[in-house]
Amino acid sequence: MAEVKKKRLADYGLKSERVLWRGKGPGVFEREIEPIEDRLLLTTVQKAVAWAQSKSVWPDTFGLACCAIEMMSIVSSRYDIARFGMERFSSSPRQADLLIVSGRVVHKMAAPLRQVYDQMLEPKWVIAMGACASSGGMFNNYTVLQGVDKIVPVDIHVPGCPPRPEALMEGIIRLHEKIQAGVPPAYEIRGVAS
Amino acid sequence: MPGFDDVPGLLEVKEGHGETTAVVETTRLPEAGFYLRDELGFNFLSDLTVTDYLGWGEKGVAGYWGHPSGRDLNHPGSWGLSRVPDPKPKRFSVSYHLLAIRRGAPRLRVQAWVDDGEPVPSVVEVWPTADWHEREQYDLMGIVFDGHPNLVRIIMDDDWEGHPLRKDYPIGGEPVRFSGEE
Amino acid sequence: MAVASRRTSAIDPAVLRAPEIYPGSHIPDPIPTILLVEPRLRESEDILQVNFGPNHPSTHGVLRLVVDLNGETVVGLRAIIGYLHTGFEKNMEQKTWWKAITYPERIDYVAFQNNELVFVLAIEQLLDMEIPPKAAWMRTLLCELNRIHSHLIWLATSALELGAIALFWYGFRERERILDLFELVGGTRMHTRYFQTGGLAEDIPPGFFPECRAFTERMPSSIDEYETLLTRNEIWLQRTVGIGKLSAQDAVAMGQSGPVLRASGVDWDLRRDEPYLTYGDIDFDVPVYTGGDVYHRYRVHMDEMRQSVRIVDQCLDRLEGMEGEPWITDDRRVVLPPRDELHTSMESLIHHFKIVTEGYRVPEGEIYATVESPRGELGCYVVSDGGPKPWRVKFRTPSFVALEATATCMTDALVADFIAIVGSLDTVMGEADR
Repeated sequence: MAEVKKKRLADYGLKSERVLWRGKGPGVFEREIEPIEDRLLLTTVQKAVAWAQSKSVWPDTFGLACCAIEMMSIVSSRYDIARFGMERFSSSPRQADLLIVSGRVVHKMAAPLRQVYDQMLEPKWVIAMGACASSGGMFNNYTVLQGVDKIVPVDIHVPGCPPRPEALMEGIIRLHEKIQAGVPPAYEIRGVAS
Repeated sequence: MPGFDDVPGLLEVKEGHGETTAVVETTRLPEAGFYLRDELGFNFLSDLTVTDYLGWGEKGVAGYWGHPSGRDLNHPGSWGLSRVPDPKPKRFSVSYHLLAIRRGAPRLRVQAWVDDGEPVPSVVEVWPTADWHEREQYDLMGIVFDGHPNLVRIIMDDDWEGHPLRKDYPIGGEPVRFSGEE
Repeated sequence: MAVASRRTSAIDPAVLRAPEIYPGSHIPDPIPTILLVEPRLRESEDILQVNFGPNHPSTHGVLRLVVDLNGETVVGLRAIIGYLHTGFEKNMEQKTWWKAITYPERIDYVAFQNNELVFVLAIEQLLDMEIPPKAAWMRTLLCELNRIHSHLIWLATSALELGAIALFWYGFRERERILDLFELVGGTRMHTRYFQTGGLAEDIPPGFFPECRAFTERMPSSIDEYETLLTRNEIWLQRTVGIGKLSAQDAVAMGQSGPVLRASGVDWDLRRDEPYLTYGDIDFDVPVYTGGDVYHRYRVHMDEMRQSVRIVDQCLDRLEGMEGEPWITDDRRVVLPPRDELHTSMESLIHHFKIVTEGYRVPEGEIYATVESPRGELGCYVVSDGGPKPWRVKFRTPSFVALEATATCMTDALVADFIAIVGSLDTVMGEADR
């Protein structure tokens, strides 16, 4: 087995008296943590927070129409969403991170939708699930909002009519990847009110 | 099927596709309703529909083309005559679909014809289920039902203007933009 | 501004009687669908008006209820709908008959194929068309599977609201098996769009019958499981017995149908009393209970699930012997020619083109077709002007009518009971608003 040089804390940039006194060897602190150095993980605070956020995104129950039935089926045991820490669907938008707009949004419902979105606390994400939420779907008429991104900033659009639970999972996992990569939520990118 | 001759305000009885339609004078609808419910036993109002016939017959629709084995293009003229549908008496027809809950399930459609602006007497006293049906038809078609206890919009927003299901109301929506379009 | 105009017309006031159509009716007066707070209560008690807004955790969809509470008792109730009005009827007028069949499925998105069925039946009645027996039996089978699917979702969500959360998981477990069957037949789990004017869109794929048999063998034991959990459960009985009583006369007067009507004691089922498709040749029972409360509606739903499994078995018996039979009528006016003919026959190619682009024409007329959807009488009123597009399509949906009865069922209801009652009426808001 090749000898892999283990990374020391100093290699990560942790500097102590060395800044002031070049040529000095490892200090007391460094000698004490030497045995556990290979078990420590160093990262930036932002990355840690993003990791934590993506692992427990709590959705809000905003089921409107047919897509809501498929959204309920990802909670069920076959397409278990609890594996991603998302089984706690909160009815109160104050306690929710993610708004999955599942179903067609009509003009009468646009105001409640915006109110629910406004009540959510930052950071918050929106998934437009299905064709109707993304673009109005097959209903290009006087009453259906042609895409929910006219009133709320959307992070992920999931196509389908209705999207299979696996398709919604794909959307959710991509959202997790986005969050972990540090991509800001859609309201920041678009510069709109949140 | 009992005879409908004694229905108050009856104008004509039509049959078609296995269904019976009784056309009734608009002003005598509640009387006819009470008679049908109490004497003839039609105690269940299934549905109340208003149809807008604005533009009926303008497009010159042809009759039924062809025969069951297909359109025979080798023998022109065997296709059936072109026909324009018969004009309707007034702009709106109000159809009440009634059912008698008993053996044989007799069904009846009671129809009344109105023009734009003409009120229709409400049948909420006869069949209370007509409450929301009449509200919906008022909302979507603009037919005013006289005597309705609560005639306000039910489906559209409270401050919506216009009656969407009328033929002169546009379908709305947005033109679809395609990517790569100039 | 929408103002209710009460212009007078030439009606003899003696003709208009009070809405109390029989003594002892619980239908509120004067507005049958709104329970108004009594004026003396407003003065003496502290009435709180609560808004159960369109977005609320019970998964019935976007229904808004404005409730007046005197302590915990509901003394005033008003239902506001329209938050899911998609304009189906107007959209369908813009599409050809064939393309319009895709729309009705989304109306009642829980029992989707019943909606397709009623529209396709209406077209076929206007065309005076007979469908081949294989298509009729397959349609019956799929509609009964839809009935089981709908009742499972009803059970799962209603029990979830009343606190029996485990049933959500069990119900959805069975539901996934039904959706697997739909996927096998139609290619997609929901909104399969499998029915076509004249029969079915495609032949029944091989391997469907053994899968369906496996399902019908396992389903009765699952229903037994649910009944073991609920039917004699003291908590369930306390929460549902005697709640939301609806008498038979009130139910008929308010236009209720389906399980709500049968739980109130009226023995009426369109499958048996006005048979359509192949229900005349099938042996099944119709459960009727006389209690009229939430518990008896639950019993009706459970018994209907069992009967549906029986019906599916009988359909399978017939269908297994129909291998190789046509699945769609051969009336070329509405049906596409078989694909191999398109390579050789010019007429077939023109047919195909005309049917797909312009659409087939349905003769002039009007018709009201009805089926027994899991919620009640689902009707479709179609007016055709002889052209390729419908002139008027109206769906009489049972959920719209069921919501009218919320005020009638609410005598002496507490807040918790009111959730149970609204759940037991089995409403789907897509259907109520269309």
